[in-house]
Amino acid sequence: MGLINNIKSYSETLELSSDKREIFDSFLSEGFPTTKDEEWKYTSLKKIISEDFLIEETGTKIDEITINKYSLGYKDKIVFVDGKLISKPEISNVKISTFSDFKSYGTDAISKLNASLSKSGFTITVDKNSIIEKPIEILFFNTVENNFTQYRNSISVGENSEAKFIEKIQNVGCNSSFTNHCTQISCGKNTNIEYNKIQNNTSESKLIDTMVVYQKQDSTCNINTLIFGGEFIRNNLNFEQNGTNCESNMNGVSILTDSQFADNHTFVDHKSAHCRSNEMYKGIYLGKSKGVFNGKIMVRQDSQKIDAFQSNNNLLLSEDATIDSKPQLEIYADDVKCSHGCTIGQLDDDALFYMRSRGIGITEAKAVLTYAFASEAIDNITIDKVGLLAKNLLSQKLNVDLDFSL
Amino acid sequence: MLKINNLKAGVEDNQILKGITLEVKAGEVHAIMGPNGSGKSTLSSVIAGKEDYEVDGGSIEFNGVDLLDLSPEERAHKGVFLSFQYPVEIPGISVSNFIKTALNEKRKAQGLDPMPAKDLLKMMKEKMNLLEMKKGYLSRNMNEGFSGGEKKRNEIFQMAMLEPKLSILDETDSGLDIDALRVVANGVNKLKSEENATIVITHYQRLLDYIVPDFVHVLYNGRIVKSGGKELAHELDERGYDTIIKEADKKWA
Repeated sequence: MGLINNIKSYSETLELSSDKREIFDSFLSEGFPTTKDEEWKYTSLKKIISEDFLIEETGTKIDEITINKYSLGYKDKIVFVDGKLISKPEISNVKISTFSDFKSYGTDAISKLNASLSKSGFTITVDKNSIIEKPIEILFFNTVENNFTQYRNSISVGENSEAKFIEKIQNVGCNSSFTNHCTQISCGKNTNIEYNKIQNNTSESKLIDTMVVYQKQDSTCNINTLIFGGEFIRNNLNFEQNGTNCESNMNGVSILTDSQFADNHTFVDHKSAHCRSNEMYKGIYLGKSKGVFNGKIMVRQDSQKIDAFQSNNNLLLSEDATIDSKPQLEIYADDVKCSHGCTIGQLDDDALFYMRSRGIGITEAKAVLTYAFASEAIDNITIDKVGLLAKNLLSQKLNVDLDFSL
Repeated sequence: MLKINNLKAGVEDNQILKGITLEVKAGEVHAIMGPNGSGKSTLSSVIAGKEDYEVDGGSIEFNGVDLLDLSPEERAHKGVFLSFQYPVEIPGISVSNFIKTALNEKRKAQGLDPMPAKDLLKMMKEKMNLLEMKKGYLSRNMNEGFSGGEKKRNEIFQMAMLEPKLSILDETDSGLDIDALRVVANGVNKLKSEENATIVITHYQRLLDYIVPDFVHVLYNGRIVKSGGKELAHELDERGYDTIIKEADKKWA
């Protein structure tokens, strides 16, 4: 059996257009990526795809209280339950609708699967010249045990506009799930967009998230990825800069325990001159957890005056934790500034003793140092509630009762 | 308050402290002087509980409690404070956040609730005034990019906030210019009371002009080879350690 057979049976119940049928057949002939695939060298789907998942099942309704429990408390919320849009806000200058089929971008198997079979997701259009003051929260709930769900989302922001988003995928009343999530963001000229992903799902949840950001000139896009919970997470984050003076910022904080696995794959395609990209990924690994970071930066031949910065810092807090980190720079222009750095380390013993000599217990001292390690990335988050949530989840995961604010 | 009896300690096979006996009573200031490598910093680290050192003999009693049984944080909760010779930089944690955490951890150990933020800020302001510290200090990252003088001042600031019973000032004068030295010494003097005690570890007599000791001990080669009143410090400053070293070498040859 296994996932691919279940998907195949499911596909037979659908009436696919000939385009989609072609994409799906291409997925089938390719199959799920294996560790022989360069992009999946350190990330194995073998165990996951051998499991028997239900496909796109719908479950029970969930009430307001549950929604609020997982919400950060913003008024403007888009809520999905098991693939169904159950509520959306009215916001002036913003149009929100459910799934609209956009053309496939990815040529990889995961993207093909999503492009051919997904039938749910959000479509957000922000008018030009609009500043959307309050963040828009997007919540995806799954209520069915062992369900495979796909979402296909799109955001399009008109020129001179600003918007912020917070996304969360959450299991309720079930533990195991597998989500294949794709989101496309189109940033118009002179836009400013921030998208926050809070990945704190249940201990047997699996997620492949693919995000593609297309930027026009003078646009800035910030993507923050916060990984706290979940058994398996693979994030593909791709930027394409199509215009001068674009800025792409990526912040990541992962804190993994037990046998959690998380992989951040980023790709910045500098297709235009005079652009910038900043990447800061901080990983904290406890227990038997495993992390992967792969950061690719491509500077095309005519993309002069590019300023690209990438850093991946990792803290291994247990003997059994591992991290595979790989920067990949491909530079074809000659007048560019590119820097990358990767560190793997442990907590500083001198700093630990210093703190303990001040009365801070060893667990707390470790937590404070760990927080200090991650704070550089957390401080880049502009939404206070998201930053605070990150701090609280960090204390929670480190088993300490500390308030890192003052 | 502090009773050290025949303390022997070292790193692996290298014995650094070879039998230290010292008693410090509440209200007293003791100075420990000595040439480089005599074991001064080892002594302060062992009292504070640094795990790099192995104690292989003797005892340290602090207000009736066996200090060697306690973790560094427990010693701090009991009122032991070490002002580091080389304070550690901790990027990502502000001075205020660090001190808040330390203070509240101590309160937690004493069964008290965390100090309300308002009271905490008030107390910080008072102590900062005492040490003539600028306002911006609190939001700077712990010791990160601090000058030598700022680091030492920050040590005494923590001491002022944590209100220890026994303060050990390890080479607090090193890296301080004369103005900073005066401010720091003045702070230490103002924090002195009948209930607390101070051990000043220093290489030079200079600091002892400002923090006047009741007793001066000379540490050499892991032993206290001479003790006396404050005049001993002046004597050392004039004549150096040579005579004492020669006598000691002869005695333990």
